[in-house]
Amino acid sequence: MIIGATLLVGATVVVLGACLLLVLLVVAVRARRHARLQRDAVLLSPLRMPLITVASGEDDDGSAADELRRATGATRDVLDRNVVAMLSKIRGVPADQLVQVLEEHGAVELAAAELTSRSTVKRARAAQLLGLARAGHAVPLLVEALGDEAVEVRNSAAYALGLIGDPVAAGPVLAAIGAPERGLPAATAAEALQSMGVGISDVLRDGMADANARTRMVAAHLSAERSFTRGLPELRQLLDHDPDLTVRETSATAIGRLGRGEDVDILVRHTAEADPLALRRACVVALGELGETRAVPALTALLDDSDPRLAELAATALLTMGPDGTAALVGHEDDPAVRTARLLVSLQKASA
Amino acid sequence: MTWEAITSGLRSFVVWSMDVTAVPIILYFILINTSLLVIIGLAYLEFRAQQRRRSTAVVWQGAGLAPGVSLLVPAYNEEAGIVMAVKSFLTLRYPRHEVVVIDDGSTDETFARLEEAFDLVQVPRELPHEIPVRARVLGVFVPRDGRTRLVVVRKENSGKTEALNVGVNAANEPLVAMLDGDSILEPDGLLHVTRPFADDPTRMVATGGAIRPVNGSRVVSGRIVRVEMPQTWLPRIQLVEYLRAFLLGRTGWSRLGGLILISGAFGLFRRDVVVEVGGLEPGTIGEDFELVMRIHKKLRDEGRDYRIEFVPEPVSWTEVPVTAKVLRNQRRRWHRGLWETLWAYRSMLFRPKYGRIGWLALPYYWLFELIAPLLELFGILIVPLALLLGVVNVPFAILFLVLAYGYAVLVTLAAMVVDEWAFHKHDRWRAVWQTIAASVLENIGYRQATVWWRLEGWWSSLRGKKHVWGVMTRTGFDEDPA
Repeated sequence: MIIGATLLVGATVVVLGACLLLVLLVVAVRARRHARLQRDAVLLSPLRMPLITVASGEDDDGSAADELRRATGATRDVLDRNVVAMLSKIRGVPADQLVQVLEEHGAVELAAAELTSRSTVKRARAAQLLGLARAGHAVPLLVEALGDEAVEVRNSAAYALGLIGDPVAAGPVLAAIGAPERGLPAATAAEALQSMGVGISDVLRDGMADANARTRMVAAHLSAERSFTRGLPELRQLLDHDPDLTVRETSATAIGRLGRGEDVDILVRHTAEADPLALRRACVVALGELGETRAVPALTALLDDSDPRLAELAATALLTMGPDGTAALVGHEDDPAVRTARLLVSLQKASA
Repeated sequence: MTWEAITSGLRSFVVWSMDVTAVPIILYFILINTSLLVIIGLAYLEFRAQQRRRSTAVVWQGAGLAPGVSLLVPAYNEEAGIVMAVKSFLTLRYPRHEVVVIDDGSTDETFARLEEAFDLVQVPRELPHEIPVRARVLGVFVPRDGRTRLVVVRKENSGKTEALNVGVNAANEPLVAMLDGDSILEPDGLLHVTRPFADDPTRMVATGGAIRPVNGSRVVSGRIVRVEMPQTWLPRIQLVEYLRAFLLGRTGWSRLGGLILISGAFGLFRRDVVVEVGGLEPGTIGEDFELVMRIHKKLRDEGRDYRIEFVPEPVSWTEVPVTAKVLRNQRRRWHRGLWETLWAYRSMLFRPKYGRIGWLALPYYWLFELIAPLLELFGILIVPLALLLGVVNVPFAILFLVLAYGYAVLVTLAAMVVDEWAFHKHDRWRAVWQTIAASVLENIGYRQATVWWRLEGWWSSLRGKKHVWGVMTRTGFDEDPA
């Protein structure tokens, strides 16, 4: 016999035992969650009304906030968690009052200390709390947390820095995107940088020369979002020479939004057949956005392009360029691309 | 020949078969169970990370870097549900998305229903031919209001894969999501599956989301308002299969960087990459699997840095078969698709440039997905025969069966723990007991039947039989008219 009876019995007992354990685990996970929810609800119930009063901005005499400040023990912990959850949704005086409650409870001070906790979840939540409390003094600590080993903490630190909005943090946030092995997700970085005011334009210009493609893309994207025309020379460089197609497309879109008359040439250059189709289309859309009539001859030539989408985009761009653009469509009235573009524009106008 | 002679010959054959196969089968048993343990371990690590991420998640409404998405909805004779489906897709929470319906030559009122509901007008648009398609496009339509981001393409009937290729050609956004017409998406589903693209915009090329059976749940206007267990055992057992496949299999492979399968019911791809690889292969059975394999092959051949990721959050809900006939057809198709794709990409096996795909994922799929039913069938036949002929010790055989099927239950229960811990979609305790019961019942009859159906699918491919799609009979949702 290949398998001994003892081994077989042993293995069966182990497997069935493990099955039983897993069933118990399912029950335990479920029961624990229910119990925790119930416990939290019971603890919070006396403070629910004052909390809603403060959050809705109706605590004129400050009595509801006082009641929240007096919470102690486990009730305070549950209350603070709920306050933090609310802070991400409210602004203004109610938010300030709730932050004061957290400060009074020592939660903000504790959060700064917990940025070095061994628990990833604690570090991440601490970073978020500091951001929601707009704790400007914690910016250096949060910048340091951008290099944390856990992506959750890096994400939370960037989120917090975005909420605080101090442009001092812009450089580290942008640089963190391309950090080897410990990169910051581009979406979080972009959202954080969006909130950092006009003082970040130089940081974005530097970012467009970064070695990491994601960093360059975020910098190019944000330059357009924030209308930083000082970044135009770098955007032109990226469109011409960047090895990454996504970065080039982003740059073309950005130039369309920010560019000037002289940018027609560079955009037209990249509508040539030698370029990737996605980039050509992005450049045609950008030319339409730019609205410079100097682009009319190039766009007119593209009405006959072998790619019907490109031809339609060119027709749509021409239709946005006033009489010069419309005149260029003469002779192309029967082209499907032109007829489609005209029909779509007329439908949009009719519904406006 | 006497009865004794027959039984004696049979007994000798059974003894010989068992002697010859005992060592390989036990080795296989150990190997498959160890690999499952490894996948469970990887899935556990991934879920621990995901759970940390979820419990510390910051609000993301898709602002900024969220790429636009074209939802491609191929429709063939879907008059009953198409309008509701399109309306629910149009109202998903996402900053920039359009819906592209490809009416694949429906012979019912599919197009008429859409035309009436959205007041469609024909546009003389010529679609790009970046992906070559054979079928003729009959017309392109958009809503008259000029605002609703819907495009309806009518074409001659030529099958789902070509319909999707037409959809890719018609898509205006940089990402394309391939859906089934009867899929129900979570309101935040697109935000979940596009997040990896926003986080890593230059490298991410595809993501897949978890799919759950919708049978039994309450659906209102294309949205799930209450998740319930299916009312019969056949879909309940499929529910545990889905839990296992998505919460352990795909998650584990994604963690390992070896994800090679994104379900056709919901997959999100970079449009330019789909175009670059030539779109979906017309006429293939497992077109979703084949597409992902082609992407892997091309990008690895070119030495490009890319990522394909699985998002374990439930993204899409789909109706699973409720009759054995439809289930049989589905399983035959799946296994045939698996075989044909694995065979087509056999050159990637054990080639260093394909990394974990060639060294781990593909060998695993060959050994433990493709060949498994063959070995299981052998066991299903030989064990009862051996018991009947008295050539094996009865308690020993029973113990072995309990061990084998107990292990299968163990894997399902591990997926249940993960589901309960991370998602807890079912409120009622009854759902827990029913799921546990389904994980046991799966091994009594269901598993053996699917083994046979899978082998039928494989065999029909080997014989070069033409595949017939069959009809997925849908029972519809418990739709509230309000």
